[in-house]
Amino acid sequence: MIFLAYIISGLLLLGIVAAIMKWRFKGEQTAVSRSNLLNFFTLGHAGIYLILTLLALIRLPLPVLAFNNYLFMDPLAIYEVLIAETIFLLAAVYGHGYIKNLLDRRVIKVESLELFYGSFNLLMVMVVFSFFSNNLALFWILLELTTILSAVLIVTLSARENVIAALKYVFIASTAMLFSVIGLIILFATTKQTSGSGTLNWTELMVMANSLPPSLFIFAFVFCFIGFASKSGIVPFHTWLPQAYAKAPSMVTAVFSAVLINSGIYGIIRLYAVAHHNGAWHTVSIILIVFGVLSIAIAAFSMLPRTNLKKLIGFSSIEHMGLILIGTGLGAPVALFWTLYHILSHSLIKALLFLSAGILKNQFESNYLQDMPAALKLQPLATWGVILGTLAVVGMPPFPMFFSKLFILVQLGAFSLPLLIIVLIFLLIVAGALAYLLIRAFTQPPADIVKPYRADWSMKLPIIVLFVGIIGIVVYLSTGLSGILNTITASLGF
Amino acid sequence: MMNPTSILLIKVLFVFILGTAALIIMQKSLASLFSLYSVQSLLMAVVSLVLFKETGSYVLLSLAILTVITKVVIIPYMLNKVRKDSGIHRDSEFRYLTPVSAILVGIALIFVSYSSFYRVFQLSQDNLFFLGAVIGVSLALLGMLVIISRKKIVTKAVGYLMMENGVLLFGLFIAELPFIIELFIIVDLVIFILLAAVLSMGIDSTEEDLTRKLNNLTKWFKQ
Repeated sequence: MIFLAYIISGLLLLGIVAAIMKWRFKGEQTAVSRSNLLNFFTLGHAGIYLILTLLALIRLPLPVLAFNNYLFMDPLAIYEVLIAETIFLLAAVYGHGYIKNLLDRRVIKVESLELFYGSFNLLMVMVVFSFFSNNLALFWILLELTTILSAVLIVTLSARENVIAALKYVFIASTAMLFSVIGLIILFATTKQTSGSGTLNWTELMVMANSLPPSLFIFAFVFCFIGFASKSGIVPFHTWLPQAYAKAPSMVTAVFSAVLINSGIYGIIRLYAVAHHNGAWHTVSIILIVFGVLSIAIAAFSMLPRTNLKKLIGFSSIEHMGLILIGTGLGAPVALFWTLYHILSHSLIKALLFLSAGILKNQFESNYLQDMPAALKLQPLATWGVILGTLAVVGMPPFPMFFSKLFILVQLGAFSLPLLIIVLIFLLIVAGALAYLLIRAFTQPPADIVKPYRADWSMKLPIIVLFVGIIGIVVYLSTGLSGILNTITASLGF
Repeated sequence: MMNPTSILLIKVLFVFILGTAALIIMQKSLASLFSLYSVQSLLMAVVSLVLFKETGSYVLLSLAILTVITKVVIIPYMLNKVRKDSGIHRDSEFRYLTPVSAILVGIALIFVSYSSFYRVFQLSQDNLFFLGAVIGVSLALLGMLVIISRKKIVTKAVGYLMMENGVLLFGLFIAELPFIIELFIIVDLVIFILLAAVLSMGIDSTEEDLTRKLNNLTKWFKQ
C-alpha cells in the first residue's frame, strides 16, 4: 500500500504541474517560469516522499513486506531513505535559484530543463526504491538505472568535459556492476543448493545465512562487492568519481555525494549482515578492512596536489567511504552503530560543502581554489560553509563526525594497533591537505574589484538548514537518534 | 542426463563463441566488429535453444527469441547507424596492449578463471555446467579486456555487450534466474546502448587534455 502511495502521489503531482503549465502559459512560457514550475514539482515530490517515509516510520509496524516480497521497509531502509529525501528536498530548494543562474549564464539550455528535472525526479524514485527493494536483483537493476540517470544529469550541461566524465562513469560503474551479476547468480545457485528453492531476498538470505557454504558465499560476495564498491567510489573502482563530481552541477553533486554514494555501501552492509551469521564473516571482514584502508590511503595522497575544490571534496568522500567500510568490517555492534551515524553525518556535511562550493563557483566562474581571491568578503556565507564543513569533515570536536570517527578508530585500535596508527597517519595527511589548501585559497589578496554575485535566498537557505542540522544531530544523538540506531543494529542481527 | 550429441554441440558452440571473442579483440573495422557481435549473440541463442530442447523450460526458449531480436538484429543495427552518422569506420588505436598481446592476456584470463572455478566449485572437469560457467566468466573478462584496450567509445560499447553475453552464458549454466530479471537486464542494456550511441556522436577522441591539467598545477605552485 505504502509503496503505491509513493508512485501515485508522484504521478498526481506531475499531472497537476503539467495542467498548471498548460493553463497558465498557453504555449508562451518564459524560461524562468518553466524552471520555477519544474522546481516546484521537484520540491513537492521530495516533500511528499519525506512525509510518507516519516509516516511509515511512526505508524507502520516494521518490517513491511509487499509485492510478492520484492519490496520491504525495515529500519535500515527507512533510515537511508530519510537521509536521501532530506538531501533531495534541500537540493531542490537550492535548485530554485541555482538553475535560474545557470540559465542566465547559458550553461544549461532551456530545452534541456525538462530532461534535467525529469532525470532528477526519476533518480530520486530509483534511489528510494533501491533502498526499499528486498530483492538483490531488483536492487541491482535500480542501481544500474541510477548510473544512467546520473550520467544524463552530468551531460545536461553540454560541455565536452561533461560528456567524457559521464561516459567514464557509465563505463566503469556498468562494467563493475556486471561482475555483481555474476555474484548474484552464484548466490542464487548457492541458496538453491542449500534450501531447494533459490532466493535473492534479503529477508530470506538472513534466515538461511548460517547454512550457506562459506567458500561459495565468499566467492559471491567478492563479485558483488566489485559492483557495489564502484558505485560508492571505493579504491580501485573510484576513478570515475572526482571527474564526475567536478563536472556535474553543484546541486546534483550534492545528491551524488550525499545520497548515491550511500547506495553501494548499503548493499555491502546488507551482504555483510548476512555474512555475519555465516562462517565467511572473518574473511569478508578482512576484505572490507583492506579495501577501506586502501581507499583512505589513495584518497589522502590524491588530495595533496588537488586545487579543484569540488574534486578535493570528492576525494574526501572516497576517504570517508573507506572509513565506513572499515567500520562495517570490524563487525562489532558498537562499530556498526557509529558507522551508521557516520553515514548520516557524512551526507549532511557533504551536501553542505557542495552547495557552498556551488555558490563560490557562480561567483568566480571557476572551481579552482587559486581563482578565488577575497572569497570571505564576497561570499561570506558560502566561504564559511566550506570552512566549517571542512572542519566538520576532518572530525573537529563539536561536529558529529568527531564522535563517529573517534569510536570507529577506537574499535579499529582494538582490532589491530599498527593498522590504527597507519590510518591515523593517512587521516592526518587528509586534514593537512585540506587545511593547507583552504588557508591558501581564502587568504589571497583581492585581485580586482569584483562585483559580488547575489546568491538567491533559496541557495542560502539550504546551507543554513544543513548547518543547523549538522549541529542538531549531535544533540539529537543523545535524545532519540541513538535509539533508532540501536534498533537498526539489532534488526541487522548484530 | 543430457543427450551426448547435445553436449558435443554445446561444446562446439563454446569454441565458436570464444573464437568470435578473440576476433572482436583484434578486429579494427567497426562494421566487422558489429557483425562479429551479432554472430556471437546468435551462437548464444543457439546454446539456449539446445538447452531448451534438453530441459523443456520455456524460459530458455523465450530467452533465445529475445536474444535474436535484440542482440542479433536491433543492437547491431543501432550500432551501424551510429557508425554511418559519425563517419567513423575504423578503430585502429590500441591502448596498453597490441592485438597479439591482448590475445595472450585473454588466454591467461581463461586459464585463471578455469583454475579458480575448479577450486571453488569442485566439480568434475567433464561437467558441461562447469565448462559453461568458466566460458561465461572468461567471456566477461575478455569483454573487459576490450573495454580497457580500445579507445573509441563504440568499441568499448561492444566490449560491454560482450561482457553481458558472458554473464548471460554464466547464468544459463549456473542458475535459472526468474525470467523477468533477464528481461530487465536486456531492457537496461538497450537503454545503455541508446545513451552510449547518443553520446558517442560528436566525440572523436576520448583522451583527456593532459597538458591543460598540468598547466593548472604549475599555475598554483608558481604564485
